[in-house]
Amino acid sequence: MDLSLLSDPVFLLQNLIDGLSRGALYAVYAMGLTLIFGVLDIINLAHAATFMWCAITGWLVMAGLGLPLPAGLLAAMLAGACIALLLEYVAFRPLRREGSDRLSTMISSIGMSLIMVSIAEAVFGVETRRFPSSVLNPRPFHFGGLRISPAQILIVAASVVLMAALGYFIRRTRMGKAIRAIAANQKAARLLGIHVEAVIAVTFVTAGALAGAAGILVGLLTNNIVPDMGGQIQLRGLAVVILGGMGNMEGAVLGGLILGVIETFTIAYLPGGSDLKDAVVFLILFLILFVRPNGIMGRKSAERA
Amino acid sequence: MRRSIFLALLALSGAAFGSHAAAALPPTVKIGAVESLTGDNASYGIPIRKGIELAVAEINASKMLGKTQLVLTVMDDKADKQEGISVFTKLINEEKVAAIIGPTLSSTAFAADPIAQKAGVPVIGTSTTAIGITAMGDHIFRDSLPQAAVIPGTLAKVIAKYKVKKAAILFESTNEYSKSEADVFKAALPKLNVQITGSESYSKGDSDFRTQLSKLNARKPDILVFCSLIGEAIPVLQQAREIGITQPIVGGNGFNNPNVLKNAKEASEGLIVGSSWFIESTVPRSKVFVEAFRKKYGSDPDQFAAQGYTGAYILAAAIKSANSAERGAIRDALAKVRNLETALGTFSFDENRDPQHPSTPLIVQNGRYTLFQ
Repeated sequence: MDLSLLSDPVFLLQNLIDGLSRGALYAVYAMGLTLIFGVLDIINLAHAATFMWCAITGWLVMAGLGLPLPAGLLAAMLAGACIALLLEYVAFRPLRREGSDRLSTMISSIGMSLIMVSIAEAVFGVETRRFPSSVLNPRPFHFGGLRISPAQILIVAASVVLMAALGYFIRRTRMGKAIRAIAANQKAARLLGIHVEAVIAVTFVTAGALAGAAGILVGLLTNNIVPDMGGQIQLRGLAVVILGGMGNMEGAVLGGLILGVIETFTIAYLPGGSDLKDAVVFLILFLILFVRPNGIMGRKSAERA
Repeated sequence: MRRSIFLALLALSGAAFGSHAAAALPPTVKIGAVESLTGDNASYGIPIRKGIELAVAEINASKMLGKTQLVLTVMDDKADKQEGISVFTKLINEEKVAAIIGPTLSSTAFAADPIAQKAGVPVIGTSTTAIGITAMGDHIFRDSLPQAAVIPGTLAKVIAKYKVKKAAILFESTNEYSKSEADVFKAALPKLNVQITGSESYSKGDSDFRTQLSKLNARKPDILVFCSLIGEAIPVLQQAREIGITQPIVGGNGFNNPNVLKNAKEASEGLIVGSSWFIESTVPRSKVFVEAFRKKYGSDPDQFAAQGYTGAYILAAAIKSANSAERGAIRDALAKVRNLETALGTFSFDENRDPQHPSTPLIVQNGRYTLFQ
C-alpha cells in the first residue's frame, strides 16, 4: 500500500464527500425498506425492483418527454407509490389474510421482484439507459482541491429533506401515530379502532415513494439505468437495515452513511479494495450481528418505528 | 460365400474412396454466427452481424463458391456464457453447421469454444482479443488482432508523443477480456520505460468509479489506460473527466465503438485506441466494403463490422480451397490461409491461428475516430 495517500488530507476529505453521498443514497433506499419492516415485520425483497421501475419511469419522463428534473422525480415517486400499493394488494395482503408466515411473504416478494425485472427486460430491453446531460449539469464545483458534483449535493440534500419529512410524518401526524401503533401491536391497534389495512397501504405508498426518489438519485449519480440495477443496492439496503436496527428510521440513515463511507474507504485505501468492498461490507455486518444484534441504533422490537 | 463377402467389402470400400475423391461442394453449406445481439454488448454484436450478412450476400451473389450457396444462421448469445454454450450446442447438433463465426465476447468464447473444439467444428472469432482464445484448440481461429499484437505498438506512439513517464490502469476484475487486456498493458508499459503508478479494478454491476479514478489520479499519471466493455466504458470516461482527469486516455478494444463517442460525447475527446481497421483505409477491399456497407445499411461500418465481414470471406475462401463442406477439411484449409486480400488488408493466419496484419492507432477528434499521428 502506498502510504502517501493515507497522509493526504485532500484525498481523505474527497473520499469522505464521495462516501457520504454514496451513503445518503443507500439511506434513502433503506428508509423505505426499514419502514415496511418496522410495520409489518417483513422484508420486502421487491423494493429493489420497485426502485428500478422508478428509475426507468424517471428516464421515460426526462429523456423521453424531455421534462425537467422535478417532473422526473415526482413521476418516479408517484410510480413507486403505485407499484408498492399494487404489491401490497397482490403479494402481501392476500397472504396476510391467509395468516401465512413471514417466510412465504418474503418468497412472494422475491417472486414479484423476478416478475417485475423480467417485464422490464421484455419491454425496455437489457440495454443501459442514461439521463440526458441537460437533466443535471455533471460539472462539479471545486473548492480547495476538493470537488462536489451537483448530483452529490442533490443526493445529500434530498436524503436530509426526506428523512426530516418522514420523521415528522411518523412522529407528529395522526397517520404516523397509527403506523407506529400498528408496528407496536397490530391486534391492539385494530381493537383501538385503527383501520389497519388502510394504514398498511399508506405505509407501502410511502416506502414506494422513497424507492422512487432513490431510483432518480442513483440514476443521477451513476447514469446507469438498466433492469438489473436493483441487484447491487438490494444487498446494501439489507445490510443498512440490519446495521441500523431493523425498522429503525434514524438507524437506516446512519447505517447508510456508515456503509457508504466504509465502502468508499475500502476502495480508496485497501490494495485491491474494489474487489474486497463487498467482503468488507458484509464482514462488518456480520460483526454487528454478533456484537449488537439489534443494530447500532437498535432497541427492543416493541419500541421500533 | 466368404468370397462374396470379401467382394462386397471391396466394392463398399471402393465406393467410399470414390465418393471421397469426388468430394464436391453440396448445393448449400450451412454456417452459423453467434453474436451478442441484445443488451449493452449488442453494440459490438450487431455491427458484426451486419458485416457477416453483407459478406454472405456478396459471396452468394458473386458465385464465389460456384453453384454452392452459403446458408447463414445467426443466433444471439446475449453476452452470457450459459447462453453461448446453449446456442453453440444447438448450431452444432441441430443445425449441423460446417463452421461457426463468433462469439462476440472473449468471456463467452472461453465458455463456448471448447464445445466446438470437441465436436470438431471450426470457429472464427471476429472480435475476441483476450490472451488464450486460440490456445483452446486447433479448431479455434480469429481474425481480430490479439491484444498483444495491438497494444505495444499503440503505446509506443502515445508514449513518444506525450513523453509519458507514469501510467495508471483501470479494468474490470470480473471479466476475462478486460483482465487479459490489463495484463497486456501491464507487461508492455515497463518495457517502454513507463512506470505503472496505479492499477485499480471494478466488478460487474458497478456504476460509480469515482473513488478508483481519484485514487489513480492522486499519483498524477501522464496517461490513464481503461480496459472496459461498452456498459462501463461510457460512465468511466464521463466520471474520469468529471473528477478532473485531463490527461490523455488510452482505451482498450472495448472503446473501439462509435457508441462510446455518441454517448460519452465531449468526455471521449482525445481518447486513443488501437484499431485493426480504419474507415479511411486505402486498402482496395476495404474501400469496396465501406461502399457496400453504406449502400446496404445507410450508415458507416466500424472495426467490428469490418472484422465480421472479413471473417465470412475467410471462411468462404477456406471452403472454396477445401472444395468440401466437411468440418475437418474446412479446418485444414483455414489453417493454410496465407496472404488473402481482405478488407483488413493482406491477411494470414499464423501457426497459432491468430491473424497477422498491421494495427492503426486512432484518436477521437470532434466526435470521430481519426488517425493518431
